[in-house]
Amino acid sequence: MKVELLAPAGNLEKAKIALLYGADAVYVGGLRFSLRVRASNFTLEMLNELVLFAHKRNKKVYVTMNIVTHDSDLVDLDEYLINLDKIGVDAIICTSFAIIERAKLLTNLEIHLSTQFSVSNSLLADYFYNEGIKRVVLARELTLFEIKEISENTKTELEVFIHGGMCVSYSGRCTLSNYMVGRDANRGGCAHSCRWLYDLFDGQEKISSNHDFQMSSKDLEITQYIPKLIELGVSSLKIEGRMKSIHYVATVVLAYRMLIDDYYNNSLKDLNYYRTEIKKAENRLTSIGFLEGEPTISEQLYNSRSEQPTKEFIGIVKGYDSFKKLAFIEQRNYFKVGDKIEIVSPNKTFIHTTIKTLFDEEMKPIDVARHPLQKLYINMRYEVKPYDMIRRVK
Amino acid sequence: MNLIARLKDVTEIEKLNQLSVDIVLLDTVFSVRVLNRFNFKEINKIVFHCKNFNIKTYISINKMIHEEDLKPLKLFLEKIEKIDINGIVISDLTVYALAKQLNLESKIIYQPGTMNTETYSIKYFEKHSIKGITLSREITLDEIKEILFYKTNLELSIIGHGYLDMFYSKRKLLTNYFTYKNISKKDIIDNYNYRLNEEIRKNDFYPILEDKYGTYIFRSHKLISWNEIEIIKSKITDFFIERIFMEDEEYFDSIKLYNGNMDIESFLIKYNNYDLGFYYKPTQMVKVVSNES
Repeated sequence: MKVELLAPAGNLEKAKIALLYGADAVYVGGLRFSLRVRASNFTLEMLNELVLFAHKRNKKVYVTMNIVTHDSDLVDLDEYLINLDKIGVDAIICTSFAIIERAKLLTNLEIHLSTQFSVSNSLLADYFYNEGIKRVVLARELTLFEIKEISENTKTELEVFIHGGMCVSYSGRCTLSNYMVGRDANRGGCAHSCRWLYDLFDGQEKISSNHDFQMSSKDLEITQYIPKLIELGVSSLKIEGRMKSIHYVATVVLAYRMLIDDYYNNSLKDLNYYRTEIKKAENRLTSIGFLEGEPTISEQLYNSRSEQPTKEFIGIVKGYDSFKKLAFIEQRNYFKVGDKIEIVSPNKTFIHTTIKTLFDEEMKPIDVARHPLQKLYINMRYEVKPYDMIRRVK
Repeated sequence: MNLIARLKDVTEIEKLNQLSVDIVLLDTVFSVRVLNRFNFKEINKIVFHCKNFNIKTYISINKMIHEEDLKPLKLFLEKIEKIDINGIVISDLTVYALAKQLNLESKIIYQPGTMNTETYSIKYFEKHSIKGITLSREITLDEIKEILFYKTNLELSIIGHGYLDMFYSKRKLLTNYFTYKNISKKDIIDNYNYRLNEEIRKNDFYPILEDKYGTYIFRSHKLISWNEIEIIKSKITDFFIERIFMEDEEYFDSIKLYNGNMDIESFLIKYNNYDLGFYYKPTQMVKVVSNES
């Protein structure tokens, strides 16, 4: 069975884009019970719309319910679970035994165990399998060898993070944010206190200078290990980042879609091809995390450097008039007539052209698109489709 | 309610007996944030000595369990099964799954630090015949009372005193930092002197410790539960008194505080840097106004 590419989505638009750009499944947060509170805004109606959209394309929707619940959080849990079951979501991703047990009792929902539980061995994976858990999202602290051993020794489906930000603590075991600012890291309020700047003291002696003791990890990026993970029988490859933009979601999903498809078609390109694609949306310093063993300074982030993406997202296609050869677009960043652009489409085609003419919504010619979400027309002799992304070539 | 003290050395048993400690907690080769990792032979000896004083023994297996740990951990538990320890305090449920294979599950106390935040935790573990669970450290006194309202045969415990950990990373954060700074330090591992200070929290120093399994960060203030324990002690079986980063005298006085041999005023005149943790500070689920940088 072909490995699943699982993408994050912070809202309905991002979810649809992730699916269109090649994700086999998306994970989204409902209004309650989900970490990443600010990226958890799916009402039941939106979930219903997304499930219909996904199932029509033979794809899946997982709902994150991965908070560590307190008694007061459980109000209306049963009703919520029953509604998710009725809508037909394909799985829920959980940490709390309350949610897991109620879902088992009241619904037919498939249950995945969140990485918040930091499952790091096959015995625990099998324990949860015997408890009715279909899939375990493995801890991010595992080497490739450990993933191999777990895969060989468990009956559970395994999901592995392949891209994005990483907790520096074992997930689910950190209360830095709770203690330092009163925001509950295990209930969606994480303030990322581990990414703040600290001084280190040895007794009374200050060792660091200018708060340069940092714990942050570089983002995960393991394109080179995708073939191996597929061969190990991992069920799902997961991209992190429900807070990320639609351009990030589209670009990263498409890059991994191409990589995975090329692997299955025996047509893998040089990995730099896929990495170059990813960098068009985000160009942060990356590392391979724990895959080759204990992280060293190469995997840590000591300077808060953040490189700019190699291409700038300037608009999204909303429609195309093939008779007038006009693309109807929505502006996302400043651009102007004369800019060289690249248009990327979910079907993996890339169009390179130059903006020669630009019109506002009333078809008045303009030179510059400077208003966010402004509706515009561009002359385009190539046919483009809704959800195609337009990038400015730097 | 049993008072549980951490044991640093076998010679302390008599002293802890004089302080009316009910149970001692022993670090093992599978422990993190240790005072002293005891091997099986030493544990066996300690159990024997403790019995002479009618003190019970728990062992700590609180590291996260990886695939390579499974075989040695099983061998260790097989040995443990043969001696009369009274409890196995665990942080990773893998240890429960292994203990079950050896019919040791009735000795398991599940103490993950963060996960036992609700009544349902009790309901779940009641079905699994373990000895008990330790309630999470980041819940309020009201939440604790609500959980304790539920009637159960499961033994419920809290860690109520001392420096509590709040971060567990598998990364060697101190070693990596010293490498980055090109500073040669010979004494990084198991060095209890390091502290962190966040750039806008000038008065708060967070102990940080690295051992062979990873890096741990602790609260800036020690927890004290003098008033709170009076409210809940009838429903708490075990009260753990944390010892890490504490001088022996303060630790022994802490035990006296809870067994009635020292009054709170004298204790707080002698010692400082205590707070009430989360007892009266409910945490927020969403972004609130903060000093976040």
